Order: sequence, then C-alpha cells, then structure tokens
Amino acid sequence: MKFNWFHLMPYRWLPDDFRERYHGVWVDLPNALYDPERGHVLYNEYLDMLEYADQQGFDAIGVNEHHQNGYGMMPSPNLMAAALARRTSKAMLLVLGNSIALYNPPTRVAEEFAMLDVISGGRLIAGFPVGTPMDVNFCYGQNPVTLRDKYREAHDLILKAWQEREPFAWNGKYTKLRYVNIWPQPIQKPHPPIWIPGTGSIETWDFCAELGYNYSYLSFSGYKRARKVLEGYWDRMAALGKEPNPYSCTFFQQICVSDTDEACEREWWPHVNYFFNKCLHLYPGMMGPPGYMTEASIRAGVVAQAGNTSLNMGGNKSWKELVDGGYIIAGSPATVRQQVEELARGLRCGHLGVALHIGSAPMDLTNRSTYLFANEVIPHVRSIWSEWEDHWWPKAMPPEKREQPGSHNTAVQAQAERPTEVRHE
Amino acid sequence: MSDTPRSTLLKLGEGRPTIQVLEAGEGEPLLFLHGAGGIAAWQGALPILAGKYHVYAPLLPGFGQSNGLEYLEDQFDLFQHGFDVIEALGLERPYVVGESLGGWMAAEMAALRPKEIGRLALAAPVGLWRDEAPVVDLFGRMAHELAPYLFHDMNGPAAQQMLGLTQLFSNKDDRTQEQIETLIGMSRGFRTVAKFLFPIPESGLERRLWRIKAPTLIVWGEQDRFISPMYAEIFREKIAGAKVVTIPNAGHLVGLEAPEPYARAVLGWGSPG
Repeated sequence: MKFNWFHLMPYRWLPDDFRERYHGVWVDLPNALYDPERGHVLYNEYLDMLEYADQQGFDAIGVNEHHQNGYGMMPSPNLMAAALARRTSKAMLLVLGNSIALYNPPTRVAEEFAMLDVISGGRLIAGFPVGTPMDVNFCYGQNPVTLRDKYREAHDLILKAWQEREPFAWNGKYTKLRYVNIWPQPIQKPHPPIWIPGTGSIETWDFCAELGYNYSYLSFSGYKRARKVLEGYWDRMAALGKEPNPYSCTFFQQICVSDTDEACEREWWPHVNYFFNKCLHLYPGMMGPPGYMTEASIRAGVVAQAGNTSLNMGGNKSWKELVDGGYIIAGSPATVRQQVEELARGLRCGHLGVALHIGSAPMDLTNRSTYLFANEVIPHVRSIWSEWEDHWWPKAMPPEKREQPGSHNTAVQAQAERPTEVRHE
Repeated sequence: MSDTPRSTLLKLGEGRPTIQVLEAGEGEPLLFLHGAGGIAAWQGALPILAGKYHVYAPLLPGFGQSNGLEYLEDQFDLFQHGFDVIEALGLERPYVVGESLGGWMAAEMAALRPKEIGRLALAAPVGLWRDEAPVVDLFGRMAHELAPYLFHDMNGPAAQQMLGLTQLFSNKDDRTQEQIETLIGMSRGFRTVAKFLFPIPESGLERRLWRIKAPTLIVWGEQDRFISPMYAEIFREKIAGAKVVTIPNAGHLVGLEAPEPYARAVLGWGSPG
C-alpha cells in the first residue's frame, strides 16, 4: 500500500455561532471572517506539516483546489506544490488537482504541471477534478450544463500538449489556439500519472477505465459508508474487463492517532467537532445546480437519496458515533492499524489518502499523529497489495540524481562571497 | 375559453429539436413563450388568451415532450430556433407573448429579425442587469426558498401549488414513481434554463433593444421580488413606442398570480382601439 498525507488547509477560527449566523462555509461566507495575519501563520504551519510528512516517510504529500471556502484555503494548489517541491525531495507531489475546465486556456495547467514535474524531478501526480458545483459553477461561473463537455475538451488538449513534439493548432468548441507548443515539457513520459477525484458517478468510473487513470474516491463520510460505492466501482471494472488492480483506486480517510484511545478522544474531539459541524456546514441550495449531474446520476441519486451526498454528512454526531460509523479512524496506533487494514481490504484500495490534520487541530497534535502513523501504523500495513504492480505512480528521477534545493548556493558560496581576483596578463 | 389544449409534436428535422406545442382557441395567432417553469398546466392567463386568439405554446427542449437541447449550443442557436418554430407552425408576423425567460427570448428575437415579429408583450422579462437591483439567483437556492421571490401572496393558490411541488425536492425517501418522474422532468427543464441563463441572465440585450420594431407592451407585477419592476422603465426607454402596464398585487409570476388583469392588458394590446 501507499500512503499520501493530504491537507485541506481549513481556516481554524470560524466563530462559535458560525452555524447560526451563516448558511454555509463556502461561496458566500463573508471574507471579513478571514484574518490575513492569522492566515500567514496557517499557511506556514500547514506547509511545515506537509514537509514533516515527507521527512517521516509518507509516499506522497497532497494538496487540492477550492475557492471561497472556509475549510479549504488553496485556490491555487500549484503554489503550495511549488513551495513543497523546493522544500522536500522524497515524497511524490499529489496535486488533486486542478479543475481543468476553469483554466483559460487549459494549456495553463499543462504548463504549470510541467513546471512542477520539472522542478521536483518528476515527482508529480496530476489530478484532474471536474470540481464541485460550489467551486466551478458558483465561484467560477462555469455553466453547469456544458461543464463536463468543456472538461473533456480541456483534458484532451492538455494530454495532447504534453505529448506532441511539434506546434499544433487546437480548434475546440471552448478553446481556440493557433499555436500550442508548451515549454517546459514534463520529465515523466508520456506524462505524469493522472488521478481523477470523484464522488461515485458511473461516468467517472468509465472515464478512468477508458484512459487508465486512478479513481480517487473523495468522501468525508468514511470507509464504512464508502463500501457500497466502491463495490460499484469494482463491479464496473469487472464488467469492462479491467483487472482488479487495487492501485487503480484511492480512498481518503480522516485519521487521528494518539498514544491511547482515551487520549485520542480527549485531544482530538474539539478539532473533529470543528470539522464536522463547522467546516462541513454546507448550503444544500448550491450543491446541485441544474445540469451539473447527468440525468442518470439524478435518477440514481433520487433512489439513493440525493441529500445524503458524500460531502454533507457527519454533523451533530458524537465522537462515538463518528468512530463507530467509520467517519473517522481514531485511537491508539494498534486501534488505527487494525481499522486501516479493514479499510484497505474492504475497499480494495492500494492508495490511501490520509487526512491527519482535521478541522482546528494545532501543529503539535497533528505532528504527533503523523509521527505515530508513520512509525507505528504504516510498517504494519505496508505489505498489503504488494503482489500488485502500481501503474499509477510517478516515474521520478532516481533520488540521487534529483537536485537538492540550495545545494548550488553552497557549492559556489566561497567564490561568491570573496572579491574576484584581478588577473594581470 | 378552452381548458384542454391540443398537443402536437413538431419535428424540426434531422439534427434539430422536436418540439411539443400546446394549442388552444381560434382566431389570430398568438405565440406564447413560457418562463423557466414551463407550462405545468393550462391555467392562469392561458385559457383567457385562448378565448380570443389561436394560442400556440411551444415548449423549449427539455420541457414536456420537447427534446434536442444538445442541438442548441448557445443563445444565438436558441433565438434562431424560435424562428424555426414560427416557420414550422406557418405563422406570419405573430403576436408574441413571453414571460420572464420567454420574454427575454421574445425580445431578443424581435431585435434579431425585427420584421418577422408583429407585436410583442413581455411579462417581467429577464435580460437586463443593474448592480443596484440584482436579479435573484435562480440556480443557487433550494426550490422552496425561491417561491417567496416569485409570488406576492404566499397564501394564494398559485404559490401554494408551487410550494407543494417543491416538497418533492426534500430529503425524504417516500416519493411515488410519478413524483420521481415529475422531479426528473423539472430538473430537465431547469437544465435548459441554466444552459442559456447561468450564472447571470444578461448578455447584451440592452444594446440590441433599439432594433425592435414591433409595438411592445411591458407588463410587470408591482411586487415582483425576483426582478425589480424598475427594469420596466429601461425597456420603455430603449424600445420606441413601448408601453408599461403595472399589475398591482402581483409578483414575478404575474400570469399565475393575477391572470385576469394581466390577460386583459395583453388582449388590449393585441387589438388597440
């Protein structure tokens, strides 16, 4: 199995009466609630957490894109990934991802992802989400009816831009470019591995199967509720004649590790409560603009209950309910180990996205959790699925060939800091 | 008056939409362009208009049995589609009555091919924008939250009927198959509306209004909270000879909430003098 340490970067100071005063955490939450000087601390702490995960041996560190959102302060995940590319050298960089229909022209994504891949020595995993309605429709004004068509065109353009070696013209419905010829090109050939985040629609499964992409199931409702959805995924893969390779699938789970089960509840409950009751306070009126979902998905949703989306769950629950329901995996390393194994085998996922920072959690608590997970959980579950080959992992340059940030300054420091000798012929 | 309209399917040809047309009444033709809610029932002003006119009410793709939204890629396609329907129905310079979304479409069509529209009545049309009076967001609200923006009297029968329908969008899992189909049908219609009006229902109509040649009536519910009645004045200013009629005790869906005075204004405009 492989483990990526994934950050949402929530704002940690939403007021106590937040739920009563505002209808949601996203889109129209007044930015007067945001204090940039606190934000300065947060960005730096959060990047430190991701760097610590790299030092502790996580396989990848992950960031994502949200807009006008109190629980996700990364409108530009590429900026975060760029900072991480220079401060880490081991972990792969999972950008999950860029909502490609938003970028005009979409070759911007091809360029920036190529930059990240080159800076990092080929460590990039490129995520291409369609994006949530809140982000892409209500914050970025994309038409929900044509969004998926535009997404698909952007995808085709980016893939071609990464692989063509001669300038070409792109006469699309949404993008018209006379000369496509991006510099730089990614290190990874033919292109970085592509992961597609989704929330359970059959169209996304078929898209991943058709093009050989990793399917990343994003959910805040935990591994027990994910089982039915991922059974659907594996059934679909079987129906399409795909091998059931667990590495084609990623699941995201919120996890808290402390020294004992009791300590875990005491230390983490306020921060978990903050996440489920403030960060996930979502306004239903902006979760399904007309046309965002296909009619087939609406039909499936009407039967399976459209209101119970994977995003909008877990509010008004006690610690025990969240733990028993699998919304969070929490406890001592032994407890967490056993549940992670149950998760991996139950969902058949080779990649686990671990959200070890939750809600309002501070630095010390988070790094302790990271340390315990890296040293007392991962070694025990690492070998699960080792009989399968991971085709969805970066083909990075060998570690010894990757540049070490700052090394060039060190190499020339002596010459740089003394006067050049005047030579007399 | 006619309470049960005839329904026919108009096939516009290969690679073009198929359109369900509701028809009732006899006399001169009146082309009725519906709003974002479609035509849920032959009620409100429609039967009154059909008492004097041969009313043709085509449904946009996605509404009722009309389909082929994929053939209309942008607003220009939509307006041209309106003329395709007029031609397929064999109408010459018809009186066009449009409500809200349909009013916008009628105004755009009359500005695009001014000689082909005989007369125009626009009921609370969308299509203009002023920052000081933003049109309410039709797409970012729960269905039951929209109703108070659409009606003046939430206790009236029209408002209550809509509130009943919005119950279908609840989280309960007790819908009948028929209710599920109604819900899916409404989603399909809203999808059409969103395709042309998301996220802001304005795309330059104001600078085209001067081209309208048809005698134009603007009707507005005095208590319209969805689009401020102040927009009526902009239409009047920009369309030569346009007249404004304000209907008291009516909200945005004036055809449902105040059918008699509204229909009287529309009929009066159709036969001046």
